[in-house]
Amino acid sequence: MFQDMLEKKRELFADGVQTVLRGHSNRNRRVVILKGNIVQNTRSESSGISARVNNNGTFGFASVAQTTPEAAEKVLRAATQNASLLAQHANRSIMLPPSLGTGMLEPHGVVNDAAQKDIIEACQTVDAYVEKTYPDLTTRTIVYTEDSQDRTIVSSDAWNGHMITPRCYIYVFITATTESGNPVELFKAFGGYGSFKDNFSDVTKYYPEIDELYKRLMDKKEGVYAQSGYKTVVLGGFMSGMLAHEAVGHTVEADLVRGGSVAGKNLNKKVASDLVTMTDFAYTYNGSPAPLPVYLDDEGTVAEDEVLIKDGTLVGYMHDRESAQHYGMKASGNARAWGFADEPLIRMRNTCILPGKSTLEEMIASIDDGYYLISSGNGQADLTGEFMFGVTCGYEIKNGKLGKGLLDTTVSGVAFDMLKTVDMVSDKVEWSSSGFCGKKQMMAVSMGGPCMRCKIMIGGR
Amino acid sequence: MSDLKKLADRFESMIKGRDLAKYTYSLTESEKQEFNIEHGEFKLLRTVYSGRGSLKVFLGERMGSANGTDLTDKGLEALIEDATAAAQSSPEDPAHDIAPDQGKHERTQGVIEPDLNLFIERIKEFLDTVAKEYPRVRILNLGASHDKWTWLCRNSNGSDFCETAGCYTFMIEISAAEGDATTGFDYTAVTTKDLDTPFIERGDIRRCIESIDASIYPEAIEGEFKGSLVITPSCATDFIGMLIGNYASSGVVIDGTSLWLDKVGEQVVSDSLTLSLMNEDERITLSDLATGDDFLAENATIIEKGVLKQHFLGLYAANKTGRPVVKNNGGNYVVEPGDKSLDELIAGVDKGLVLGRFSGGNPGTNGDFSGVAKNSFLIENGRIKCAVSETMVNGNLWDMFKNIRGISKELVCNGSTVMPYIAVDGINISGK
Repeated sequence: MFQDMLEKKRELFADGVQTVLRGHSNRNRRVVILKGNIVQNTRSESSGISARVNNNGTFGFASVAQTTPEAAEKVLRAATQNASLLAQHANRSIMLPPSLGTGMLEPHGVVNDAAQKDIIEACQTVDAYVEKTYPDLTTRTIVYTEDSQDRTIVSSDAWNGHMITPRCYIYVFITATTESGNPVELFKAFGGYGSFKDNFSDVTKYYPEIDELYKRLMDKKEGVYAQSGYKTVVLGGFMSGMLAHEAVGHTVEADLVRGGSVAGKNLNKKVASDLVTMTDFAYTYNGSPAPLPVYLDDEGTVAEDEVLIKDGTLVGYMHDRESAQHYGMKASGNARAWGFADEPLIRMRNTCILPGKSTLEEMIASIDDGYYLISSGNGQADLTGEFMFGVTCGYEIKNGKLGKGLLDTTVSGVAFDMLKTVDMVSDKVEWSSSGFCGKKQMMAVSMGGPCMRCKIMIGGR
Repeated sequence: MSDLKKLADRFESMIKGRDLAKYTYSLTESEKQEFNIEHGEFKLLRTVYSGRGSLKVFLGERMGSANGTDLTDKGLEALIEDATAAAQSSPEDPAHDIAPDQGKHERTQGVIEPDLNLFIERIKEFLDTVAKEYPRVRILNLGASHDKWTWLCRNSNGSDFCETAGCYTFMIEISAAEGDATTGFDYTAVTTKDLDTPFIERGDIRRCIESIDASIYPEAIEGEFKGSLVITPSCATDFIGMLIGNYASSGVVIDGTSLWLDKVGEQVVSDSLTLSLMNEDERITLSDLATGDDFLAENATIIEKGVLKQHFLGLYAANKTGRPVVKNNGGNYVVEPGDKSLDELIAGVDKGLVLGRFSGGNPGTNGDFSGVAKNSFLIENGRIKCAVSETMVNGNLWDMFKNIRGISKELVCNGSTVMPYIAVDGINISGK
């Protein structure tokens, strides 16, 4: 139907250029309960059609917030005109990338809408549990957030398909107050790929993890500041995943490599210890669906896994079709757009450091004086691989055992230096899929990693 | 615009057909033309035709909202269905409300029809200037767009707003390199209603370029010390945003975690700081006609000579806590200038940093912050010594603004904010 309508517009594709016509919808649901008060309660839909035309390396893009045949015709005309107009001012004349094959990919994903009433009731149930079970908390916030992408791709010389990617989460934020009157807080996101009923038909299954979150907050309430300096630490799986995404992943996006990232001069060189292997997974991990599966990107490239670091050696970058041609590599489906009005950019998908053979217990037992760093609220990195992660939850390690909880601190370093200090890697991977990556547009991505023993700069106070 | 009014009339008749007595809605139509330059070359021209409808419905004291891009009858009916369903599911809360009748207001501001030829010439001029004057600087990305929109908002109390507006936006992301030596990235942006001035002379664009050009060979700081920061205007804007968010915003006042909860009328920071949220100001490119609560937008002073004048509260938070509402959408921070030049601020520092960018997260509720000093320079004995690498700064947000040692005469106006350099004491600075 909708795919058929877009297919019919293929006859309007210009000769001698590469064209992708995309129908695209985003759906959002959001409820926020702040200390029992519903302060946000909204439903949102965005949909439209876009076209992108590559005319010898000069791109024209246009989008309209409508999903009609007339809209498809309008964006095709405008994108073609934009490519021609820009060519008058650009010195680009690049041979079009070769086709990677054509065909129709089978549809993936379904999205089931939940009534706002059911969403609110689930949030209120969680809120009531937290309020009743932990009356000593200073405040609490429950956030339900759901976003889904529905994309239909019709391309001139690549693959076509209809892909739906839903995900939804309930965030629990809790705050306590220290004896000196200072508030401390922690949060955790529950949920993942799928619709409301897939994840939240029974919210009580999350209570044990909420209980664990509370216990960690109480430890933080009695916590100490980390001593600043260069320390031996165990990075938890969440932190390793963030490192994989922020400090390594961005530097191996081919557009940033061209911009001068540290990965440019390190291809096929040792950038980490032999224990470190890192892959950007497309749609499966370890024989099961990846947290946010990507089967087809927005240039019509069928997605495949991209190995980035193999046994400590940098072996690959992430590409769109043009950058793959520039570097003489293969595109693996990393050209992604978030909304109908967005052009595809090189983005990560499910970026993960692979597990090793140690256990977390062995790693903690091996450290006389250091830290176990569990979760982060934010992280940033630079073209140089210099990174900073806020640490919101962690513990001292003293004589091989966990000590006091930590107050908020920060770790920093240079990724390709820090990864060379990794000398133990745990046997379990922790994934996180609730976040957005920001790079002109937002993008749903997941990141994962095992626990890693390494040396790192910690901020203290 | 007339089409949007007809659409609004139809939408309103649909709403009234559902017997909804209290509501507010807005409709927007917009168009963007955006030039994307990558690695110094024109790469993509992007045109976005968009629209959005938003509806907030009140059923007694229950509130629900919905928004979407489908402005057909089917899409508008879906908005009413969704917003009504959300309201029906919501518990009663008398704090939800909209502003009383603000009257009818219609205006046009900014540049509606772009001069694309001159726009392209200004972009080329910028690229040529950077290539000639700063050959080590790389333009990773340059986004130059013209946006125009018509926005219409009406509510059941009788308010009726309609505005057509447009402006240019110019954003750069840059790095610098010489041989194998490279910097990290930096970025800045400006908005403007005119193309009279070369882009390199607008906002802090030349400073941003000069700063990255001087950062190719940074030095690591040894050890840890307590020192001063001379915070650049773009970085100061980030810290001011954190200050408002942590101590004076709706969420922390509603849940009572703000450490300034009962500080209105009291000195909370250095008396050299006066901070306003400006709406009508010739240095701000475009003003807001109305707030998200449907009040006519006004200027608001939050801190005057260090005294907290009011919290930055929307209508819900104001009703919930019995405090006054601020009729301003926020974000357009204007800090009053000080009496020292930037050179005098630097000359007064024994040891510290010019902090170009703070790479760190939002502070915890208690205000403690910790992060990496990016695009920053070491100051020793009143002189800038070198760019720094792998340098962390940490402190407490509230303490930092109590310990302001000076504010510059120079102001940077980027179309959205007006900000001086702010020098503060008592910050922990540490190297590897």
